[in-house]
Amino acid sequence: MIRSLALPILFGLAGLVLPFTGSSYLIGVGFALCCSIALVQSWTVLSAMTGYVSLGHAVFYGLGAYVVALSWGALPMPVGLLLAGGVAGVFALLVGMPVLRVRGPYFVILTFGLAELVKYLVIILESELGSFSRLMFGAPDLGVLYAIAFALAAIATAGALLIRRSRLGRGLLALRENEEAAETVGVPVVRLKLVAFALSAVIPGVVGGLAAMRTTYFEPMQAFDPTVSFTIVTMAVVGGSDDARGPLLGAAFFTILSEVLWARLPQVYMVVLGLLLILFVLFIPRGLAGIFAGRPGKAA
Amino acid sequence: MDVLLSGQLLFAALITGALYALIALGLNLVYGTMRLLNVAHGDLVMIGAYVAFWGLTLFGLSPVVGLVLAAAAGALLGWLTYLGLFRRLLASPQLMRRLEGNSLLLFFGISVILQNLASLAFTASARGYQFMDQVYRFGDVALTGNRIFVLVVAVAICAAVYLLLRFHVFGLAIKALIERRDAALIVGVDIDRVQLAAICLGFAIAAIAGVLVSTTEQISPFMGFPFTISAFVVIILGGLGNISAGLVAGLLLGVLEVYGVALTSAAYRSVLIYGVFIAILLVRPQGLLGRGSVVR
Repeated sequence: MIRSLALPILFGLAGLVLPFTGSSYLIGVGFALCCSIALVQSWTVLSAMTGYVSLGHAVFYGLGAYVVALSWGALPMPVGLLLAGGVAGVFALLVGMPVLRVRGPYFVILTFGLAELVKYLVIILESELGSFSRLMFGAPDLGVLYAIAFALAAIATAGALLIRRSRLGRGLLALRENEEAAETVGVPVVRLKLVAFALSAVIPGVVGGLAAMRTTYFEPMQAFDPTVSFTIVTMAVVGGSDDARGPLLGAAFFTILSEVLWARLPQVYMVVLGLLLILFVLFIPRGLAGIFAGRPGKAA
Repeated sequence: MDVLLSGQLLFAALITGALYALIALGLNLVYGTMRLLNVAHGDLVMIGAYVAFWGLTLFGLSPVVGLVLAAAAGALLGWLTYLGLFRRLLASPQLMRRLEGNSLLLFFGISVILQNLASLAFTASARGYQFMDQVYRFGDVALTGNRIFVLVVAVAICAAVYLLLRFHVFGLAIKALIERRDAALIVGVDIDRVQLAAICLGFAIAAIAGVLVSTTEQISPFMGFPFTISAFVVIILGGLGNISAGLVAGLLLGVLEVYGVALTSAAYRSVLIYGVFIAILLVRPQGLLGRGSVVR
């Protein structure tokens, strides 16, 4: 317990100290890191705990961005962000019923297809509305955005830790190992899956809204970019998703890597990302967190 | 309404459908025999397209020769990835537990690498070349030579592979592996060799399809993704691993897409494809044309 809390606390302290550096470059990197942590932790609530691997979390991120863009100027910023999370959660509840009946590889490609479908529907809607990208004037400055992102990362990490230890988490793990057996012994699998799906959608919705404020514009192709979904999965694989440490390590690793390579050599960055993904899937399936735990490669 | 009944549109649908059937055939072979979800399939189409482009531009080789070169390049890539990655994946019981998920991640890695290496090597700009662009008329249907080329080659290769699977001993071994892996092993099928052959064949078919695409469209390092999606829609429509139903489903998707776009507008193309995709997954995950239920 102590061991598994050490790393989150370390990250938390670093995150609290960061604004005092006063460097907007560092705070910008911190913002990206916090957003990634929040996304990956949320993703693990569904995908690591239930085994329903979502390749479509970009849909929640994109919807959040769209809600914030639509409500920009009409609603106060905090209300817009809460609404973004709410809409993402409600959307997950609505589509979750049919979608979560589908399992295994079918679920993976279904979530991906769903995210793409919503993207193209939003594009059509936007062109019907006569708008091709939305600018958001008067977005809060970086310090404020960072504080919100940090809070989201902290909530997501604490949430992931708590859910694992809760009745809900145990139910989810049970249904991951064997859904029929779990159902037979009385785990309400349908309800639990749906709750996990909705919980894993809310924070990505808020993060999407926050990211739109950071870039100060909304454009569907970018907000619903499938790369968001893929990056989340890659971070989870490289970091490891067996406990709350993995997403922290995975997100930190890729944020640093992207700072070093993305700006100068974007294609090289992507090639490195692909190579790392292959390396970790084949040789280090428990991720960086598994190396830290001293048992690399051994299945949980 | 006249447009919808024209032979022109019918041929457009047939050509698109034959191309989809061909691309999906390769994907289905790899999924069927090994349960690998190849999300890099469209990138193999891209590789094939570049082989034809450079063959013609640098050495003046006709795309007909390009077909052979691309097939060889695809098979080589299949051989390399099988020996380097997938043999290991398929041999480890621990990784086998989540085989499809793991294979998807590995192929995603391969996809990202191929796209970005191609972009580094050839730049991201779109390229194209002229090939058989004279127009032939059949009654009220006007077709360019390259589109006839696409149709003829795609149909010929689909038919050849179908016959191979139906009658040749090697094809039968592939089919045995698709239908029941354990039983195939028991009756003495050399699973390792058959898997290697299936992945080489699947990759080669994708690369050949790339040559066909390059004769009619512009090519770029990131052109592959829509083909990956269409191929997945097709094999899900036909039922994963169901080869002959996949061929029919390819034609069906071609018809759906061409007539759907003609009825609405090009803006609805993606919505249409993804809509069909999701509807099938939700309602009949064993495939529209599949029989019985599948292990989900």
